[in-house]
Amino acid sequence: MLVGNNTFWHAKRSFYGYFNGWSITTLAVALVFVGPFVALFVVATGDTEGIWSHLMQTVAPRYALNTLILMFGVGILSLTFGISTGWIIARFDFWFSKILEWGLLLPCTVPAYIIAYTYTDFLEYAGPVQGVLRDIFGWTSARDYWFPEIRSMGGAILVMSSVLYPYIYLLARTAFRQTSRSYLEIAKIRKPSSAILIDLSLARPAIIAGLALVLMEVLSDFGTVEFFAVETLTLGIFNIWLGMNNIAAAAQIAGIAFIFILSLLMIERGARKRQRFYDNTKKNVSVRLQVASTGRSVLYIVICVLPIILGFIIPVSILLNFIFRGLSTSNSEILITAAFNSVTLSFIVSLIVICLATIMVVTTTYKKQPFLLWLSTISSLGYAFPGAILAIGVVTFAGGVDGIIEKIYVYFSVAANNGFLIGGAGLLILACVVRFQAVGYGAIVAGVSRLSPNMFAASALLGYSFSRTVFKLSPPLLSRSMLAGGILVFVDAMKELPMTLLLRPFNYETLATFVYQLAKDELLEESALAAIIIIFVGLGPIIILNKYQRK
Amino acid sequence: MVTKVFSPSKITFWFIISSILISGFLFYSSATIAETINIYSHRQPFLINPFVKAFEKETGIKANIIYSTKGLAQRMLAEGKRSPADVVLTVDISRLNVYVDKQLLLPISSEKLFKNIPAHLRGPKNDWFGFSKRARILAINTKRVGVDKIKKIEDLARPIWRGRICTRPGSHVYNRALLASIIAHNGAPVAEKWAQGLVYNLAQRPQGNDRSQIKAIFQGVCDIAIINSYYFGKLRNSKIAEQREWTKDVRIVFTNQGGRGNHINISGGGVAKYSKNKKLAIKFLEFLSEDKAQRLFTKINFEFPANPSIPYSKELLSWGAFSEDKLPINKIAELAPMAQRIIDRVGW
Repeated sequence: MLVGNNTFWHAKRSFYGYFNGWSITTLAVALVFVGPFVALFVVATGDTEGIWSHLMQTVAPRYALNTLILMFGVGILSLTFGISTGWIIARFDFWFSKILEWGLLLPCTVPAYIIAYTYTDFLEYAGPVQGVLRDIFGWTSARDYWFPEIRSMGGAILVMSSVLYPYIYLLARTAFRQTSRSYLEIAKIRKPSSAILIDLSLARPAIIAGLALVLMEVLSDFGTVEFFAVETLTLGIFNIWLGMNNIAAAAQIAGIAFIFILSLLMIERGARKRQRFYDNTKKNVSVRLQVASTGRSVLYIVICVLPIILGFIIPVSILLNFIFRGLSTSNSEILITAAFNSVTLSFIVSLIVICLATIMVVTTTYKKQPFLLWLSTISSLGYAFPGAILAIGVVTFAGGVDGIIEKIYVYFSVAANNGFLIGGAGLLILACVVRFQAVGYGAIVAGVSRLSPNMFAASALLGYSFSRTVFKLSPPLLSRSMLAGGILVFVDAMKELPMTLLLRPFNYETLATFVYQLAKDELLEESALAAIIIIFVGLGPIIILNKYQRK
Repeated sequence: MVTKVFSPSKITFWFIISSILISGFLFYSSATIAETINIYSHRQPFLINPFVKAFEKETGIKANIIYSTKGLAQRMLAEGKRSPADVVLTVDISRLNVYVDKQLLLPISSEKLFKNIPAHLRGPKNDWFGFSKRARILAINTKRVGVDKIKKIEDLARPIWRGRICTRPGSHVYNRALLASIIAHNGAPVAEKWAQGLVYNLAQRPQGNDRSQIKAIFQGVCDIAIINSYYFGKLRNSKIAEQREWTKDVRIVFTNQGGRGNHINISGGGVAKYSKNKKLAIKFLEFLSEDKAQRLFTKINFEFPANPSIPYSKELLSWGAFSEDKLPINKIAELAPMAQRIIDRVGW
């Protein structure tokens, strides 16, 4: 045995070892994130008053089936939108492709509940579409003709896909761009048509990460399904909680949905366990854009414009129309405060999420501790809980922690406190971080999964510590993913509603809560200005994101 | 080689701590003014703010509000003794009952409240008080439904209305309370049969809120809708011309007149059990029960005042007098879970 070899193993052990700041931070953070879930599971152990037999005989099968149909429908449609556009943008150069490239991201600034409200306004009987049709065909009442009902399963699939596909588009596009040219060249030599298969299988982790976000969002959505009266599990959760006054059973259903998402992810992860592709080649060999012919260009434009029209242009035009007709409330004092609150909250949340997600992903990827990996994966699934239910978990968890802190205070006979966590904005920030961790985590996992472990190994061999390696290598290698994740979190937090409603401090209004209090009463017109601000505040970061991704 | 590397755990730690401190400072500095009360409200700010403003003007006491439609009871439970809430405001007796069930409200004694709010609109232990009433009524298309063709809520299940009725989903609190009142009067089996008949008669899948039911009548989708009374007033007095138009051919019907009377529900509130400002909290509730605030209920939201000495606003007077169901309102909350089960079974 060579002595040098021993030193290497020693270095390797300390590099990848267990007890170090990285693992401990990850463990601590993951435990805090899991706290609200545990609190929910505790809530779920309450008395359900034999409600399950009633549920199984009546609504539960319908709720479950509807949820599956909705997830399947939105999954397929957003994959179609996201992958097709992502691939076209990543591979071809055609007219307007530079504009479409960022245009395709715009719909993610539109909250799902707002698009639901605007589409209803647009497509219902009194709306412009049916009005024009009636004028043309001389119909006089709803009984004279058939028109597809927007408040339906199909409508929900359409509107949700229109605003959720950008997750898949963004992550898939980034992955396609990073596909090494050498792979595609080999594919072209062997069989030209197989190039896209190579692209797809290399981008699979990214696509799955995007899809997972979409599906979690669908599962946890309340605003849209309530407005469209699509009876999903989440709607059921609220009926059981508020209607039957049974939070235990409601928490149980939320828990089952959570476990369902978790197992889907595990199955997928298992399926690609043996397929890992690293980009081992040097930089600057990324695929060169192909210039599209005129006919092709038109086709590509149509494919790329469609989702933008559906997810952005239609809802924004409707909102702008309300504003120009003077129907919107424009109490500037409230709006400015609300906008300020929204932006600061979203900014703080996105910073925290990205820092923590990066630490967790890097640690679990390179330290290879199965327990930590599991824990941080689970801790990044807060997105799968309906916001209001997660808020219950967060507030219950915080109440427990505050109770313990108080006991400690009393023990040391310090004056009683009013609770640290509940009441201030800290709790709201914690809740948002737990919920949007999924978005940041997903983005960074997608980035890290393409990095070759050789880089870290090389750094270890050179005698650098793990911390130094991370600080040296992360900025050049992960900055894109971090920025992408951070901006997605920011935009998502701008739209966040149910948790803010419940956990906010006194007199605290965000743009989303302002929109909600009016839109809830179907006074969409009056909330239009605030809704537009939510969307436009998201635009800036989205454009930055796009610019930076291209460099 | 000596390079200073910050440990990531340290950076994260300080980052989180400072973010929380900064944000706490940013958002939470206003809660320390001397005379304040803290309100947890299930009612929307645009309804509550005029009351709060009037109260602040009259008393100089500042009111802080958190508005959320859901979960405030859970929040108070988690906060326990540390809860900053002084007053809870909500609509629907079942929601009030959640607070009663979890013992989050404080029984109080106030001559003013006892005088202003009739006994049947108060909690049995005086832990909650109703401040306004709303009737669950029918809106009908005058052109398509003859006068006196429909008089009782039970009539909605008759086969002649097949495909002509609109409502929001049954599981909404308003419909659940309505069904609970029918259970209370007719028994569960009859109520279930009624709900089944109603579902057969629906023109479209239950959807939207009460406002959109009136819109659906305007659009010719249906001829009869179940709505809360104040929506009719709101639409008739809407800023938006289009919405006023919806009510043009709509007449409202108070049901079961000459019988048990029209089902009503309340908005109400109480003092939080762990309130640190009980006196001020009671003062706020008293304010809500008196002339000025009671008139605001009728004027802003077209609700009926709970205080019987308050005259109706012009809009309310135009609807005509009606007799209301005198069922003890607690009964509704008691039967609501059973109503929800029926709603699940019939798919309303």
